[in-house]
Amino acid sequence: MDIILAAVSDAFTWQALLAIVIGTWAGIIIGGLPGLGSVVGLTIFLPFTFGMDTITSMALLIGVYCGSVYGGSITAILINTPGTPQSAATTFDGYPMTQQGRVDEALGWATFASFFGGVFSCVILIFCAPQLAKFAVNFGSIEVFALICLAMMCIVGVSKGSVMKGLVCGMVGFFLSMVGSDPITGADRFTFGSYALSSGLTLIPVVVGAFALSEIFMRFATRDDPSAKIPEATLRFPKLSEWFKRLVELVRGSLIGSFIGALPGTGAAAAAFISYATAQKLSPRRDRLGKGEPDGIIASESSNNAVTGSSFIPTLALGIPGDVVTAMMMGAMVIHGITPGVRLMVDQAQTVYSLFIVLIIVNVAMLILSKPSIGLFRYLFRLHQGYIMAAIVIFSFIGAATVRGNPLDLVVAAMTGILAYALRRADYPMAPLVIGMVLGPELESSLRRGLLIKRGDFLEFFTHSGISMTLFSLLALFIVWTVWSSIAQQRQASTASRHAESNSAK
Amino acid sequence: MVARLAHPRVLLALGLFLIGVVLAFHAWSGPADAMLVPRIVLTLWCVIALAITLVELSRVSGMGSGSLSTLPVLMAALLIAAIAVASLGFLIPSLPLVALTLWMFRLRRPLPLAVGTLVIAGGLWFLFHHVLLIRLPTLLNSGAL
Repeated sequence: MDIILAAVSDAFTWQALLAIVIGTWAGIIIGGLPGLGSVVGLTIFLPFTFGMDTITSMALLIGVYCGSVYGGSITAILINTPGTPQSAATTFDGYPMTQQGRVDEALGWATFASFFGGVFSCVILIFCAPQLAKFAVNFGSIEVFALICLAMMCIVGVSKGSVMKGLVCGMVGFFLSMVGSDPITGADRFTFGSYALSSGLTLIPVVVGAFALSEIFMRFATRDDPSAKIPEATLRFPKLSEWFKRLVELVRGSLIGSFIGALPGTGAAAAAFISYATAQKLSPRRDRLGKGEPDGIIASESSNNAVTGSSFIPTLALGIPGDVVTAMMMGAMVIHGITPGVRLMVDQAQTVYSLFIVLIIVNVAMLILSKPSIGLFRYLFRLHQGYIMAAIVIFSFIGAATVRGNPLDLVVAAMTGILAYALRRADYPMAPLVIGMVLGPELESSLRRGLLIKRGDFLEFFTHSGISMTLFSLLALFIVWTVWSSIAQQRQASTASRHAESNSAK
Repeated sequence: MVARLAHPRVLLALGLFLIGVVLAFHAWSGPADAMLVPRIVLTLWCVIALAITLVELSRVSGMGSGSLSTLPVLMAALLIAAIAVASLGFLIPSLPLVALTLWMFRLRRPLPLAVGTLVIAGGLWFLFHHVLLIRLPTLLNSGAL
């Protein structure tokens, strides 16, 4: 108890609170700018922390991290351009709500779900970190493969117009993730002798091209249409009765995010897609998903923000960073004298509890700062559309150029933008392309590692462990259910058309 | 039939199929272990793209209504700027690209166009490259430009 009280007093210093406000505000703005995400935000702020004490510096960085994950949803909802890959799933329902004139409601749900997911994962972190870390260790390659296969099912769900077009886009995304060195043998794949291609293609240029640049091309076609103007960004928090009605969705999304975040190597983008796929199967309003249903925003935003807390579980408890962002956070921790690993909770318990409390304060700050941040975006989007589109082009270029300093990423972004525009005009959904690229590498490496463990016998995957058997059974159930429901829908549609024909003949 | 084949939707599907075939051929001639997953993915890609081509062929009628647009100019400018960044640095290709984007989005008064170009391309480059020290591709070895 003394440790917790001391941790609270460490977290509530004016320096730490100021760092939280600055970091969270900056994170929201950076996250909202297409192409710039958590990594760029942390890169900007990391040098400023060198002169600060441990808690203040971590408060600043955690603020930037959590703020940027939430900020990505603002532009995803307003202009169908996710600020970060983590918010790509938010566009599925966020943008249709904006088109229906429900932008205030969409932003309200995104903000509230982000806050709920963030706080939920902090509570999980405080009470269950050691247990969750132990359970996460049970997830070997085969279990992760089964989990990712299950998540891939959401491609079918987000391909409302044509499942085949969604699948081919998923394959394109999966293929793009395979360019470069093979993760197991190191052999070059699809590099065609190019040295620049041997380091592979990264996610940010593809997301920037698929969403931001293709959106500019789409808006170019409607630049003289007054109805195509960017709407005024306003925020309306859901009423108590409304969020109570969707409490199950909020808790489910947060639980999924908390769990996925605890698995090393997955990340917030994968969590958002997995959560969205689950909502497609379990939400009572699943028929309206993809057409402007708040449950879709809740699934995506509660899970991606829940990852911000739980991603610290493998980082702090095991010393394993889950993704690039947590690797950067881990580096910052080491610089400031926190040594992640199994001894951390024993040796530096007060500091760890201070970080947990900082995480909760950051989420509260995010809720408070959401209104002024959205106000800033409202002011920006009042400018002439040309300024906004030109700024998106430059931010997209900066985002692509700063990922790893490879100018090839700019070419990839531009080419993806042109291809994505052509695909969108022919009614191909863009989300499966990103899903393929996000989940593809983990799917491949877990399959390959699993095959090495099982000496090439794929059938043994199904009987490997209780977890894998459960996940594969769920996958089989989902496939059967999806096929059965699509056949039923086709039958219903053909019966309805026959009725209509016979009525018109009479 | 020829008119149907020339429809943009069919051409796109056919293009996807042909790209898939070329890549699949490359994958099947590569090392078995490294190309295991690419072979599965690309084979599925080819099958699905072929199915989409056939479906589009059966659905479309005629060549489709094509209208002259200046969008390809913007696309070409974007691609050229992206390629030029590697040799000319970030700032020089960004300035004409931003000016063209503003112009094409109907911002044609000289002063707003010039100020917008300088602030968006020059200002953001200066902010990231020189103030925040997030290094962007440069023309000079010193990193100043």
